Amino acid sequence: MSALTLTLKDPPDQRVNMSPLVPHRLQGKSLDEIRNIRLAGSRQDLTVGKLFNVSGAQTEHIRMLHGSPMLDAIGSDMTQGLIEVKGGAGDRLGLGMRGGEIRVEGGVRRWAASGMKGGRIHITGDAGDFLGGAVPGSPMGMEDGMVVVSGNAGDRIGDRMRRGILVVEGNAGDYCGSRLLAGTIIILGQAGVAVGFAMKRGSIILAAPPTRIASTFNSCGHLKMEFLRVLFRYLSRSQRRFGAVNTFGPEAERYAGDLAYGGKGEILILDNTLTGTES
Amino acid sequence: MLIRLIGGKVYDPANEVDGEVRDIFIDNGKIVATPPHDRRIDKSYDIRDRVVMAGGIDIHTHIGGGKVNIARMMFPEDHRNDPVSRTTRTRAGCGHVLPSTPIAGYRYAQMGYTACFEPAMLPINARQAHMEMADTPIVDKGAYALLGNDDFLLRMFAANKDQQIINDYVAWIIHATQSIAIKVVNPGGISAFKFNQRKLDLDEPHRHYGTTPRQILRQLAQAVYELGVPHPLHVHGCNLGIPGNVETTLDTIEAMEDLPIHLTHIQFHSYDNEGDRRFSSGAPRVAEAVNRNSNVSVDVGQVMYGQTVTASGDTMSQYRNHLLADPNKWMCMDIECDAGCGVVPFHYRERNFVNALQWAIGLEIFLLIGDPWRVFLTTDHPNGGPFTTYPHLIRLLMDRSFRSHMLSQINKSAAEASHLTSINREYSLYEIAIMTRAAPARSLGLKDRGHLGPGASADITVYKDQVNKEKMFAKPEYVFKDGELVVQNGKIVKITQGATHCVKPDYDKTIERSLKRYFDRYHTVALDNFKLRAEEIKGNGSGVLAIHPCRTAKHA
Repeated sequence: MSALTLTLKDPPDQRVNMSPLVPHRLQGKSLDEIRNIRLAGSRQDLTVGKLFNVSGAQTEHIRMLHGSPMLDAIGSDMTQGLIEVKGGAGDRLGLGMRGGEIRVEGGVRRWAASGMKGGRIHITGDAGDFLGGAVPGSPMGMEDGMVVVSGNAGDRIGDRMRRGILVVEGNAGDYCGSRLLAGTIIILGQAGVAVGFAMKRGSIILAAPPTRIASTFNSCGHLKMEFLRVLFRYLSRSQRRFGAVNTFGPEAERYAGDLAYGGKGEILILDNTLTGTES
Repeated sequence: MLIRLIGGKVYDPANEVDGEVRDIFIDNGKIVATPPHDRRIDKSYDIRDRVVMAGGIDIHTHIGGGKVNIARMMFPEDHRNDPVSRTTRTRAGCGHVLPSTPIAGYRYAQMGYTACFEPAMLPINARQAHMEMADTPIVDKGAYALLGNDDFLLRMFAANKDQQIINDYVAWIIHATQSIAIKVVNPGGISAFKFNQRKLDLDEPHRHYGTTPRQILRQLAQAVYELGVPHPLHVHGCNLGIPGNVETTLDTIEAMEDLPIHLTHIQFHSYDNEGDRRFSSGAPRVAEAVNRNSNVSVDVGQVMYGQTVTASGDTMSQYRNHLLADPNKWMCMDIECDAGCGVVPFHYRERNFVNALQWAIGLEIFLLIGDPWRVFLTTDHPNGGPFTTYPHLIRLLMDRSFRSHMLSQINKSAAEASHLTSINREYSLYEIAIMTRAAPARSLGLKDRGHLGPGASADITVYKDQVNKEKMFAKPEYVFKDGELVVQNGKIVKITQGATHCVKPDYDKTIERSLKRYFDRYHTVALDNFKLRAEEIKGNGSGVLAIHPCRTAKHA
């Protein structure tokens, strides 16, 4: 059976809420029923059929061709299956997602993976602000699962994140891991200012030293942490693309903080054996 | 423009019309007597076999003000799960239990309601609350100013000031906040919470001011009565939600002697502590006391199953409830020493013993209070459930077999503990018209609302008479607001701007001198900025301030 394919006819001129289009909500629906699903929009409601050419049959695998930054909440509350988006997505990708996988070829806007409780998200392009962060009014951002961004990420990623792994292969913006409750954020590129601002617990792992570390973080010195070796091995085995992380040794400079918030969190700055950074 | 509604079955309890078939004439937004034969009828509606009532009036619904906004901010999932798109007439919005302001107006109108009263407006928040209500289209609005925990009043009580001065202060607040009544929430308790008291019984003194809730209630009720404000003191009593609080409620009724009083969301105050779980229904005792004391009116605050958010000024009880927050997020805060604010999300579940019994207790109160003129239909929106559940609630009251069916679905022990199975009463359409129209209008002193006699404003709802009362009341066929057709078959066809109802009791203006000193010394705003002027309600010309007369003062 072929994947259920939704091809965007024209880029929408308003924001569209895509939350009904997830595998568990489409189960057992005919193509006509899917075409008639109402999608809430910021200006007017649309139906799936008006916005997309719909073909294919397998609702467990949804492909969205010609994505658009106007398409919000793709894969929200998703529990199973696979959603592929070619060409980018809007806000709140994978909001409250519980399982399954989302692959985006292109960039996404803000609050991707917010409230995510399980599953995997892979974004090949850039992610906006608040990746894995809490939407206003929510006490927590990402709650579990794994997110990989191959491009860069915006500001305040992992804001109030509670659990899970967030990997950014490019650079991250300012206030990375702000108000982090727990969980692991890995930045393979360069992070902006105020890393870990007001973080309570959790680990922020940086491959490159940030320009400055706030005075509420205290260096604990260079440590050899076996946990890093386990983490890197897990990552490199889980996805071939992470083969490179095995080049990191288990040595890192550990900063404890944010001391203004209990100081149970840590920023780990890796000693990169590849570039030979010695500090 | 003369409009004629032909042949509807009219239920107009204020004029003692019970299902009589008659025509209604509307001229310039008012209901008029049968005009002379030679007058041309501009528009006729054939509404034979339809049920006609005045527009519904919700006497207690939290639709504006600080705490609703905080609840909205705290509950984004409620908004994103219920988006409402723009149409050519209506604005976009969102929210199921906490609808955004325009959506609240639309949904009330679509349900045949034409007036809503925000029951807990902190005087310091009056401007914000009125702005939100101005943003709520179609329906008429009004607000009750919240007193009884504000520092100025408690200081006066502590200093044993004369009743006359308290009257002046109460009247000044009503003027300054453009409100229609006075509400008291947990008298003294919100303030006592800030002095580390976690409970305050009717006769327990406030740790700092030394006043007791009994004294506050007595003197405020006295003040409201002496000022001639039509709606009696609107009381959210002590010990909300505590098993055994039925004693407090009965004591409160007794304490008032003959003073008129309105006990709000009484369901939350009718819990006894018998049985294995130390939680049982106190509804029969409360209903009996209400039946016996004609000075007491109540609204129920029925609990409806599902997700909701409780937003209350009662910091003391909300702090106590925070352990039950579902989802687990909550807040309690002080608001400028005026009172407090607590927002705790709740999920009422029919399989949960306590929730199921709360549901049954609310229905028992409805069914055991004999006089529908003194019991009003509310869910304390959004605290017991959103106002959109009213049609379902009406069906529960009007349809005994439906009620029994629902009772069989709930928690078994709760069903056994409740008295519902032994109650056969079914509300009639006439009684529903009393409790949702005529009685609230009379209680609030709205002479031209809640009835269909000549001279009344033409707020009219026309329902298709159906066996399923939930369907009937959810989607009226026509709704007229001030003579204009606003809703047809559940669709909004015209947006109007409702009036803001208020009263203006007489008082001695010299109270402002001591208030000015107090404001200058302690307050965050200057006295003149605190006062909300009539022009602000009128806004850019769309708002209307409807001033209702006070009773002639009895012994002021």
